[in-house]
Amino acid sequence: MLNKRTFLIPLCLMMAGASAAGDYRPPEDVLAELIEKSGSLYLTQSEQNLMMMADNPASWTVEEGEALFHEPRGPNNVSLEGCDFGKGPGVLDGAYVEMPRYFADTGRVMDLETRLVHCMTTLQGFADDDPAVKSRHGSNSDMMRLQSYIGSKSSGYPWNPPLDHPLETAMRDAGKVLFNRRAGPMDFSCATCHSESGKRIRASVLPNINSPEEWTKAISWPAYRVGHQHVRSSQHRVRGCYWQMRQGQSVAGSDASIALISYWTDAARGQPAILPDMKR
Amino acid sequence: MKYAKVTATAAAGALLFVSTGAQANGEKPDYTAMTPEALAEYLIFEANGIKLDQKTQEGATVKERQMRDELQTICSGGTRATLAGDDLAKVASLGRAGIVKPEGGVKLGDWKKGQELARSGFGFRVGHNNDDHSTREPGGNCYACHQLDPKEIAYGTLGPSLMNYGKLRGNSQAIIDYTYDVVYSPHSFFPCTHMPRFGANGVLTQQQIADVLAYLIDPASPVNQ
Ligand code: HEC
Ligand code: HEC
Repeated sequence: MLNKRTFLIPLCLMMAGASAAGDYRPPEDVLAELIEKSGSLYLTQSEQNLMMMADNPASWTVEEGEALFHEPRGPNNVSLEGCDFGKGPGVLDGAYVEMPRYFADTGRVMDLETRLVHCMTTLQGFADDDPAVKSRHGSNSDMMRLQSYIGSKSSGYPWNPPLDHPLETAMRDAGKVLFNRRAGPMDFSCATCHSESGKRIRASVLPNINSPEEWTKAISWPAYRVGHQHVRSSQHRVRGCYWQMRQGQSVAGSDASIALISYWTDAARGQPAILPDMKR
Repeated sequence: MKYAKVTATAAAGALLFVSTGAQANGEKPDYTAMTPEALAEYLIFEANGIKLDQKTQEGATVKERQMRDELQTICSGGTRATLAGDDLAKVASLGRAGIVKPEGGVKLGDWKKGQELARSGFGFRVGHNNDDHSTREPGGNCYACHQLDPKEIAYGTLGPSLMNYGKLRGNSQAIIDYTYDVVYSPHSFFPCTHMPRFGANGVLTQQQIADVLAYLIDPASPVNQ
């Protein structure tokens, strides 16, 4: 099914630059290496996407996000360089793979999207309902541009969400309960579809949360969704999966959504992030 | 019917977590003092985790839908491989108790209608692009998890292949009755299975289940060619 030739070029690149954990690596190289190691059906299901990885339309979104990040904006006319994503103000290298995390200034565990909203409203002074923070779902939204850029600065870094603060552990553990919580007319939980490798819903191969090599791709958002022709976020994926389960609409930025993302990030621990990714 | 029952159990659950850390005065409770189960319930029902007031197709709100009956609660705690024997026995008996047979016994319906139901995943979505049951009936989505007609290649594999189901098992009344029970409430045979309770949860009517059974069992159905 998978054409080996597709991976020759990224593999060569990879060997030339054999990298220590914690260095930036382009998403297509990270994915090629994971495939070489695991041969997972989920990772290889779309040959077309694999061939397009190097020309991911999300790379435009990343570039637009970079410009936005450094531009003075909002009523306070400041850039986001003063925003602390956990490793100090403006430090982005490897910051996203260590989220969600506890932030002392808010007393909350926050995911990337929630933290970004926090900085845009407090630091830059945007109102909650300003389109800059409110519109979150398309490649052309500021939110997706900024998330894509910040995310891309963690490509190749191993997921490593901190569990030092008791709230981080509490949220991760509640997220596990949410992941397994069966409800609604279909009796579904996330675990129904994501706890075994090689299983399919219709023709889609499902990622398994118990396989970190598969799960790192599953949670590597922002990703360009070919079927949607838009870059999408983790929060958008959570909402979509609740919709598919025929359960209620999850609220972006709620502690429930952040707990779920804490659990799913912990499950990919140690595996390199693919950012931005490309999905079906 | 089912949802009235559900509300009662979940209300009991709600009392439980309020007493384990959540404060009544609307202040954020200490998450670290709560069990993971209590915190998860709190995050959904008290901390705006899910939009609870939206209307559902069954005529209630999302709040009722997010609450669990006893079977869902037990099966949230593990799988058939990890749960204790007592829990699984309880689930099997709850599964059995949920089965309502048609008056005059189970008969096969129309396999062509069953085929449509097996292909359709329409129904019960809420939040955005809500499925509207007044314009189209909900389906059974069997192809999401099962192989059936050998000519259909886009089939899921979460469940076993049901290709040639009737050819392999025959069309005796015993097979018809067994299959009805599995589709109505599969936990009676497979406690904590991934398969939905199409009858017990009100997803498919008795007549629709009879049509799906015909699709599986009728010798003329493409499943058996
Ligand atoms: C009934 C099956 C089903 C359930 C239940 C389900 N998912 Fe999914 N999930 C899918 C499918 C199918 C995909 C593949 C992408 C698509 O087609 O939407 C997917 C994709 C994903 C992905 C991204 C991987 C990708 O390739 O796009 C993540 C992460 C994920 N699901 C998490 C969850 C979480 C968290 C829940 C529960 C809140 C959940 N899923 C519930 C079927 C399900
Ligand atoms: C979300 C997944 C899923 C869906 C949707 C689903 N099933 Fe199943 N089904 C399963 C699983 C898993 C099993 C195996 C039981 C087990 O071991 O837990 C099963 C078992 C069965 C069996 C018993 C097979 C045997 O060997 O005796 C029948 C019959 C069946 N399903 C019919 C259907 C029909 C008809 C539909 C649609 C109306 C359907 N299923 C929809 C997952 C599903």
